[in-house]
Amino acid sequence: MEQILEQISLFVTSFIAVYSVYLILTVSLNIQRGFAGIPQFGLVFPAAGAAYIIGNLSTRIALWVLGIKTNLDPIYESSGVIALINPVLSSQPLLSIALFILCLVIGAVIGAVLGIIQVAPAIRLRIDYLAITLLAFGEIMNVIARAYRPLIGGEYGVQVPSVFGWAGKNTIVATTVAMLIVALIIYAYAEYLGRTPMGRTMKAIRDNEVAAAALGKSLVKYRAIAIVIGSAFCGISGVLWAFFNGSVMPGQFVRFNWTFLPWLMILLGGLGNNKGALVGATTFVALDRFITYYKHEFVGILPFDVIWLYQILLGAITALILIYRPQGVLPERPYIPKDVRERVKSSIASSS
Amino acid sequence: MQAVISFGTFIQALIWSSILSLTAIGITLLYRTTRVPNFAHASFVTTGIYSSTIAWVFGFHPYWGVPLGFILSGLEAVLLFYMLEPLRRRKASIFLLMIATLSFDILMYGVLNILADILQFEFKILSRNIYFVPMDFDIAGIRGIVFISLAAFLATMVALQLLLYRTDLGVALRACMENPSLAQTLGVNVSRMLLISWFIAGATAGVAGALLPFYQMCSVYTGTYYLAEMFCASIVGGLDHLIGAPIGSFLLGFAKILLLSSLASVVGPDIINYMMIIPLGIMVITLAALPTGLAPLIMRRRGV
Amino acid sequence: MLRIENLNSGYGKLHVLYDVSIDCGKKEIVAVLGPNGAGKTTLLNSIFGIADIYSGSIKLDGEEISKLPPHSIARKGVAYVLQMINIFSELSVDENLRIAMAFSKDKSSDMLDYVYELFPILKERKKQRAGTLSGGERQMLAISIGLVRNPKLLLLDEPTAGLMPLYVSLITKKIGEIRDQKELSIVMVEQNVHKALEVADKVYVIVSGQVVFKGLPSELMGEREIMKLYLGMGD
Repeated sequence: MEQILEQISLFVTSFIAVYSVYLILTVSLNIQRGFAGIPQFGLVFPAAGAAYIIGNLSTRIALWVLGIKTNLDPIYESSGVIALINPVLSSQPLLSIALFILCLVIGAVIGAVLGIIQVAPAIRLRIDYLAITLLAFGEIMNVIARAYRPLIGGEYGVQVPSVFGWAGKNTIVATTVAMLIVALIIYAYAEYLGRTPMGRTMKAIRDNEVAAAALGKSLVKYRAIAIVIGSAFCGISGVLWAFFNGSVMPGQFVRFNWTFLPWLMILLGGLGNNKGALVGATTFVALDRFITYYKHEFVGILPFDVIWLYQILLGAITALILIYRPQGVLPERPYIPKDVRERVKSSIASSS
Repeated sequence: MQAVISFGTFIQALIWSSILSLTAIGITLLYRTTRVPNFAHASFVTTGIYSSTIAWVFGFHPYWGVPLGFILSGLEAVLLFYMLEPLRRRKASIFLLMIATLSFDILMYGVLNILADILQFEFKILSRNIYFVPMDFDIAGIRGIVFISLAAFLATMVALQLLLYRTDLGVALRACMENPSLAQTLGVNVSRMLLISWFIAGATAGVAGALLPFYQMCSVYTGTYYLAEMFCASIVGGLDHLIGAPIGSFLLGFAKILLLSSLASVVGPDIINYMMIIPLGIMVITLAALPTGLAPLIMRRRGV
Repeated sequence: MLRIENLNSGYGKLHVLYDVSIDCGKKEIVAVLGPNGAGKTTLLNSIFGIADIYSGSIKLDGEEISKLPPHSIARKGVAYVLQMINIFSELSVDENLRIAMAFSKDKSSDMLDYVYELFPILKERKKQRAGTLSGGERQMLAISIGLVRNPKLLLLDEPTAGLMPLYVSLITKKIGEIRDQKELSIVMVEQNVHKALEVADKVYVIVSGQVVFKGLPSELMGEREIMKLYLGMGD
């Protein structure tokens, strides 16, 4: 009985963790694509970049904050260093959480900066050039991580401190709850953003660049804002993933998971629509987790890894959605501010 | 800095530029006709790689992968064309078209991985380490791939030139690239022209992929790995003229190889891991300074 | 020559034209007038096979063309002069015409000589890149591209739109000359009511997708309501 509970608990926690990450990614994508029309096919760049930098820095910060001195190299001998850090960290919950938040903030800043670098060369150019540039940058991140060993030790990666070690038996639960909280905060903020004048301006630009320009709205400025906010969120998601796994490795950040799947999710929900991202994220994360946990059942039946069928399936689903229902399964309803709604209602009532 | 480039380095650059051109020409062609950057080009190239592999496991010399890849990748491209047609007819935005090519790429990546898994299982090969360099022939000490890749490149350029400028089909294709709606009013079957250009683009990419294992170690990921570089070559050359593809490819190819070899002698062999950065850097600079690429400069001088 | 009966067409779910019937004979100019968004361009698109036809028939010389794809319709002898982006701007005037001829069945240079006579300014600017021509010259080239294929039916979408008055008169006059000198039918969508009425043989007025008037130009002038309400012609 205990075993089954444990299995369920593992499944649920990993589901929540992955879900939180994807929620943030889809929100980020929605802001960049949905609000400002940026074809961010290189979503992985700010996410991975932030994760790598935190992978590099978090250990050093922890060492400094805790006052631990060691001759071990934090990058190449990270497991040894972590072994020194974690016991001390787990006895100081407040400090741990402070470290966690600090890393999130750093991740957000790195993400934003990387996003700007990524978009800058083509920000004034046509959408297709922008898309190509963003994609190209996306591919580079893993190349750099593997090649530049001082970053995260090349292929082997590094471990990161366990910032929820203070929860003891419930470390994983605490981690995933924290991730979910962060994700929900970000989701709420994005919803709010959509209702602010700035958010609506961005949507206007997305829908009709020329008209918006005629009204004096600067295309570059709003694209930049969308990129900064969206990429900051990406950075946060990368950091969260690093803490969940306890380590950062180049192989974790592939285009399929970090760029393609978020696009598929927002496509399912309709571009620009956060509710759809919720539905999309739920569906695909469930599928993904299910496959991860049960794919060993298929070994021996199929001469190949079942994960590829998953990719084919998703590629096909995307194609079908595009052909038959490009507006998404849950199309966007334009947001009308409350006072306007009231006015429209009363004018309809008075004219009938 | 060495005054004389070593012959070996020159040969490397030549091979790589030729292969890169074969991919870039397809990207530019598709961009001119269908107005979409084709992210699935990576898969077309990878299909070529595994065409050579298939030829090999069935007992043929892997160079037979060239005609096989030509056909397989060409057909694959036609498949993608049919997937895009309903979108194009609906005048779908370039966004949706790009996502469509991306999803096709993901789909084919899964298919190719399955193929690799099956090949490994059935034929006991290391299907993610495809390397045919030792099987190459040589003429006077120079590897066969040099001749074959150059020949493939030149043949493609000549064939395209003849097609586009000496045949009625070519005139129709050019009219489509220039102004599809006007071409349609003149009686050109635009759909069919696009189909033909997709086949050509896929086929050339397939040939490029088939030749790659004679240059370096390849896996299912290789096509994806070089996608950014293919786009860089097309952009640097200029997406508005087909001739931009070979121009950009040779420029980028030589720049990359030469820079790498001179840096390697200074910094050490690790530099090879950063290969990707050079083409990206050049593209970024080109976009900033010359968004239309190099081809227009050359075209203007010829008075065209 | 061209007979449209009870045409219902639109784009996907958007139904634009309702039960439209139009007749255009040989050596005849039919002008199609109406307010913006009424469906005039949709009419041309329907004839050319670009719009979706829900019901009705379109016959060219007795042959049903409503189910054919655009390129086939073009090859049956229909020349569609689009309103915009209707030339190959990178090519020279002469190259534009030659490319158009390359796609026609009749490869003789008779029509080429004819258009150069009709529009001498094009002959002057033979080698000039089409993109550098003035607005009026471009329209002349666009019409010539259509003409040079010796079509049976010439469809013109607002040929004088955005042109200066000099060119408006010139082009209208030339369209009349084409009708007089050649055997084809011309269907002309126009916003410029006065000019259209000067040269047309028959007029249709389409409002909200339906034909509200069919008759001679002189008859239309008498219909004050229609002139005022739909065509913006005050008293």
